[in-house]
Amino acid sequence: MKQASTCLQVPPVARPSSTAVAPRRAWKGLPPLALAAILMLVCGCATTWQPGADTSADALRARAVTASAQDVRVSAAVLSADDSRRMLGADIPATGVQPVWIEVQNGSRRALWLLRAGVDPDYFSPLEVAWSLHAKLAGDRNAKIDDWFRAQEFTNPILPGETRSGVVFTNPQPKTRVLNVDLVASGLLIPFSLFLPVPGSEADDIIAKLSGLYTEAQVTDYQDAGALREVLERLPCCASDARGAPSGEPLNLVVVGELSDLGAAVSRRGFRRNTMQLDDAQRLYGRRPDIVLRKYAQGGAPPTWVRAWLAPLRFQGRPVFVAQVGRPRGGRFVADDDAAQKLHPDVDEARSLIIEDMLYSGGFAQLGFVEGVGATPASAARVTAQGASWYTDGLRAVAFMATRPLGLSDVEILDWAPYLQRRESDAAARIKATEH
Amino acid sequence: MATVISRRRTTILAGALLALAVVGCASTGRQAEAPTDYMSRLSTLEDGKVRVSVAALSAEEGNAAYGVDLADKGIQPVWVEVDNHQDRAYWLLPAGLDPNYFPASEAAEAFAPDASKGSDELAQRFQSLAFQNPAPPGKTSGFILVHRDEGVKIVHIDLVATGDARSFSFLVLVPGFRADYAVNDVFRREVYPSSDVVDYTDSDAFRKALETLPCCVSNEKGSKTGDPLNLVIVGGLDDAFPALVRRGWRPTEATWSGSVLKMMTSALKHDRYPYAPVSNLYVYGRRQDLALQKARDNVHQRNHLRLWLTPMRYEGKQVWVGQISRDIGTRLTIHSKTLTTHKIDPDVDEARRALLEDVAYSQSLASFGFVKGIGETPATSPRGNLTNDPWYTDGQRVVLVFDEHPSALTDIKVLPWEEIRGHVTGPVAEGESP
Repeated sequence: MKQASTCLQVPPVARPSSTAVAPRRAWKGLPPLALAAILMLVCGCATTWQPGADTSADALRARAVTASAQDVRVSAAVLSADDSRRMLGADIPATGVQPVWIEVQNGSRRALWLLRAGVDPDYFSPLEVAWSLHAKLAGDRNAKIDDWFRAQEFTNPILPGETRSGVVFTNPQPKTRVLNVDLVASGLLIPFSLFLPVPGSEADDIIAKLSGLYTEAQVTDYQDAGALREVLERLPCCASDARGAPSGEPLNLVVVGELSDLGAAVSRRGFRRNTMQLDDAQRLYGRRPDIVLRKYAQGGAPPTWVRAWLAPLRFQGRPVFVAQVGRPRGGRFVADDDAAQKLHPDVDEARSLIIEDMLYSGGFAQLGFVEGVGATPASAARVTAQGASWYTDGLRAVAFMATRPLGLSDVEILDWAPYLQRRESDAAARIKATEH
Repeated sequence: MATVISRRRTTILAGALLALAVVGCASTGRQAEAPTDYMSRLSTLEDGKVRVSVAALSAEEGNAAYGVDLADKGIQPVWVEVDNHQDRAYWLLPAGLDPNYFPASEAAEAFAPDASKGSDELAQRFQSLAFQNPAPPGKTSGFILVHRDEGVKIVHIDLVATGDARSFSFLVLVPGFRADYAVNDVFRREVYPSSDVVDYTDSDAFRKALETLPCCVSNEKGSKTGDPLNLVIVGGLDDAFPALVRRGWRPTEATWSGSVLKMMTSALKHDRYPYAPVSNLYVYGRRQDLALQKARDNVHQRNHLRLWLTPMRYEGKQVWVGQISRDIGTRLTIHSKTLTTHKIDPDVDEARRALLEDVAYSQSLASFGFVKGIGETPATSPRGNLTNDPWYTDGQRVVLVFDEHPSALTDIKVLPWEEIRGHVTGPVAEGESP
């Protein structure tokens, strides 16, 4: 199967690498016909597709993760290589596509529509995946492959009283797939967030991990926004290193809300879970980040990361995550490997990137800013244990997540640290300087 | 030459005026462009006490403003000025112009990878040229760096304050390039005499009119039909096109030899090449009025749509009929003059569904529905497009109605028209529950 996958035209996992943006074209000078000949050779390879032996979803249903709300039940599971061979006739996960089986039981009285762009903004169509298995001059066989994949697809709508299931072909997430399912009807949204184990990778039960971090006695639940603000201002400025020295990257974001709310909001904007070795250097509460997200949308997206720790705090019963937002130096213009990734010094810019993403995903109900990182001008930049310098206005953004996506005009910007006003005086000074 | 237009305007007139203003300035030719000419072709819109002016820079202008070859990296500066006479500061969302825009520091790094310190001259220059949030009362201006568009650019500005969002949308031409729009009159003058324009206010009558639209595109002579017209967009520069831009849809470059050559090479090396050309298709005896595409990871995965303005209006809004398909790979064909064309997903309903689900997240979709008009074409007896790609469909076209006021997913209304039952023409899924 491995051999077959090298012939496939399905692209590798989308990476925020330099190839996405105006890549250097060393082969620029090749004449078109020579290139065409190479193309023919590349496409001409045979595939090893066989009709799936068993399309029953029983095995998936048995291990599926399930959630219910408003008379609707959603179950989902990520297909393993074996599931994929059995149901789809080929090892699709090996081609850089993650097939996710979804079942919706609609006990409501409305016809529902599942928005696949919310599952993955860059999902693959079934025939796109099937096409990658086509062979040259094998029309009948290719048509059979198409039919097979099409039959496995999740289709809309889900009528009242109906149970519908099928596969959505997504870009891969390692270990745990954060699955955002937005079901809509006229004037209605029923959102679900499921955390699906990815077969073939080490067990990573993020929910169990988070719920086992603190005892009830260790957690303080704040009812008053003012009290919460004070606590957030007293949090350490930065993560520490493995020895406990506070020389890590700044903690410039706080998220108030369920993990599922955060997961849904970031999934809609192309963030996926992905922990790299370099993340291990950042410690808070004496441990590595609980969850790391990286943006991987459309090849050309800014490669922002979010490293989050569950705090021993709650606000009106909702969990509080303390996080770092940053992006690597070089951005999309350097290679995507561990060694090359070093924090870009302008951490406020990365903070703005995620705020804008969340505003468009409808993820925020309220947004505020608190002091706590400590204003650090570029002329007196601080340096991490890894040798990355950084500077900031000293504020951390505090995002109160919305369970139901909101419109841009519904977001309330809290009157805490005067972010906009503070920036106003900067802007005035800047304008003055420009005029001068 | 600046054009100031009240926010409360008729879309058609504004579109025509705005484009006239832009085209008038843009027609001076590539060589004649002075580096700062963009300041003389600002387009301006006003909403209440907030006025926004923009200009998209040509490659030469951008390079002159920044002193480095931005165009070579696929980066284009857009000049934005916010003249804010409200009592509050606004946050401008650059991701509304381009979901994958370049922060100033990242763009600077493209030219000096080691420019990581704030004191670095290049990084500082990029920062000082950048539009800096927020936009307090008074004037705030600067550049936003986005992916380069050749020919035409849809510039969409979202300003957010607490409980207050304001949107401004512009169609601006980029001097010095040919594009589908540049040779097309749709934004320059009225395509239809006013006596031909019918404004529908009754939903049922509108639905019936949509059903009578032609089933498919044709070739230039009108002697052969091709892809199905499976898409209707209700809206224009203020709502529909900004929604598409927010989701990463961008105008195409015209089909010309340089572009085809670029795509040939792109097809061989999984590059993301957003300007792969589209072939011309015809409705109403004319080629597409606009073509948009959404590049995904590379040229193999490029969804494209073509639109034609109809003589219909719905509640005063422009109505466009269109064709959308999903490319699933580039292949060589002898049927297209440009040789390289795209293998399309034969299940054209899939691309239609994908667009609907994509724009559901645009914050501007007000309602959607389905109408008949293509004719059911089962997978067992598919029809062919002009390059002999097969296609099949349940025969319906999706109707997307946009509104300029930002709306959440929960606000989207479903028009009670045709019912969609999934794969009405396809095989029944095995192992699927009843």
